[in-house]
Amino acid sequence: MTYTIIARCPRTGQFGLATASYSVAIGLYCDGAIRSNTGVTVTQGFPYPRNNRLAINLLAQGFTAQHALKQLAGSDPDFDYRQIGIVDRNANAVAHSGTKIGGWCGHRIGEGYVALGSTLTGQKVVDAIASRFAADAKGDLVDRLLSALEAGRDAGGIKGANGRLPERSVALVIYSKHDFNDIDIRVDLHDKAVDELRRIYEDYKPSIAYYDERARNPRNAIPAMEFADMLKNQQAKETT
Amino acid sequence: MTYSIIARCPQSGRFGVGSTTFSIACGRRNESVRPNVGISKSQAFYLRYVDPLALNLLSQGFTPRQIMNTLAADDPDYDYRQFGIIDRENNVVAHTGPGCGKWAGHKVGPYYAAYGNGLAGPQTVEGIVNGFLRHPEKPLEYRLLEALEGGRDAGGQASNGKHRPERSAWIRVVDRLDNPQIDVRVDLHDKTVAELRRVLEEFKRCEQYYRERSLKPRDAVSEEEFVAGLNAKAA
Repeated sequence: MTYTIIARCPRTGQFGLATASYSVAIGLYCDGAIRSNTGVTVTQGFPYPRNNRLAINLLAQGFTAQHALKQLAGSDPDFDYRQIGIVDRNANAVAHSGTKIGGWCGHRIGEGYVALGSTLTGQKVVDAIASRFAADAKGDLVDRLLSALEAGRDAGGIKGANGRLPERSVALVIYSKHDFNDIDIRVDLHDKAVDELRRIYEDYKPSIAYYDERARNPRNAIPAMEFADMLKNQQAKETT
Repeated sequence: MTYSIIARCPQSGRFGVGSTTFSIACGRRNESVRPNVGISKSQAFYLRYVDPLALNLLSQGFTPRQIMNTLAADDPDYDYRQFGIIDRENNVVAHTGPGCGKWAGHKVGPYYAAYGNGLAGPQTVEGIVNGFLRHPEKPLEYRLLEALEGGRDAGGQASNGKHRPERSAWIRVVDRLDNPQIDVRVDLHDKTVAELRRVLEEFKRCEQYYRERSLKPRDAVSEEEFVAGLNAKAA
C-alpha cells in the first residue's frame, strides 16, 4: 500500500526519500530513515519501526548496504513480511521484497537509488518511478524525487482488492550535511496526497532561504509577515 | 510567529511537543525531541543546530538551567531567540528574548512550558496552558492538541493588530523507543489546528492496527479490510 524512492544524489551527496501510501501519516514510519553522510533506508509492507535506525546504525559502523540488509534479515523472524531498501554513501543500493506482503510487490535498483512498492497496480509503477528518477541524473534531488513519485502515481499507483486506492499520505525528506533534515514535508491524510505535496513544496520553496537568513542575521531580518506579503505580491505578478 | 507547548506526561513519562505557526511545515523540526532525554524546542529567530546541541548537553547530564546559561553565553543574538527545554526529571526552563517581537512570552509549569511569539497577547499563552490542563487524565497527545486549540481560541497569532492564521501544525510524542509513538502533521492548510485534530483522530483509530501489523504481521488483515471494518462500525 506504499511506494517509495530512496536515493543518494551523485552530484551533492545528499540523501533523500519520497514516499506515498494509503496508510495515514506514512512519514511517521520514515522516522530515522536518513542520516547525513551515512545513508538512507526504508522498511515498508509491514513496517518494522526499529529497522530504519538499525540499518542506519549499521551503515555508520561501516557495514555496506548489502551486509546491513543481511543483518536485518537475521534479526527479524518476519523478514518475509518486510519490504526494505538501503542506499549507502558509496551509492551501493540493495532491496528486499518479502514474499508474504500481498498484492503486487517489488523493486527496481539503480546506481544509488531504489524504487520499491507493495500492493501496487504492477511492475509498471516502480518502473515509472525509477525511469523518471534516472532520466535527470544532473537535476536537483528534490525535483527528481518529487517527479518520480508523481510518475508512480500516474502509472497506476496503489491497487487494493477492489481497484485503485488513493494515496492518502506522503513524505519528502532530504538530508545534506547536518544532523537535522534540510527538507521534510508531509501530507498525513488527504484524498490526493501526491498532488497536495507538490502544492506545498511549491509554496515552501521560495521561503527556505529567507528562514535560514533571518536566523543567522536576526537584527536585519524583515518581519516574516512582510516577507510573506512580498512573496504573495510577487507570485500574483508572475501569474498575471 | 509560532506557539508551542512542550511537556513530559506525569503519568507515563512520555515526552511530547505541540506546535503551530504561520510558516510552512513546522513539523520538520523533529530533531527537537529525543526519547529518554528530553525536549529542546527553539523558535522565533531559531538556529537549527541549537536543539540538537541542547539535547546533547542534556544527555551528558547538564540541567536545562545550565544549558540555558550555555546557550546565552555562546550567542550574540540571544535576544532574538525563544526556546523551552524540559528533561526527564521535569526540570523546565523557557527563554523569550526581548527581540522576539510583540507579543512574545512564555509560561512554565511543573512539567510543561507554553510559549509563543507574534501572538495576539498573553491570552494566547494562557489559552494554551488552560487547554493543556483541562483534561489531565487524557493521553498526552490529546492534551497537546487541546493546548493548541486553547491557544487558537484565545486569539492565536497577530501582527500589527491583525490576526494571522496558523498554516502548519505538529504533534509528536515519544515513549521509550527511538522511533516516535505519535507524529502527526499538517504542513499547509487554512484551518490547520482543526485539520490536525482530524488527522490525529484518524491516526488514533489506526494506531493499534499499525502497531500490531508491524509486530505480528502473520496475524494481520490487510489495511483495506481494516479500514472497511472501521467504517462499517462507525456507520
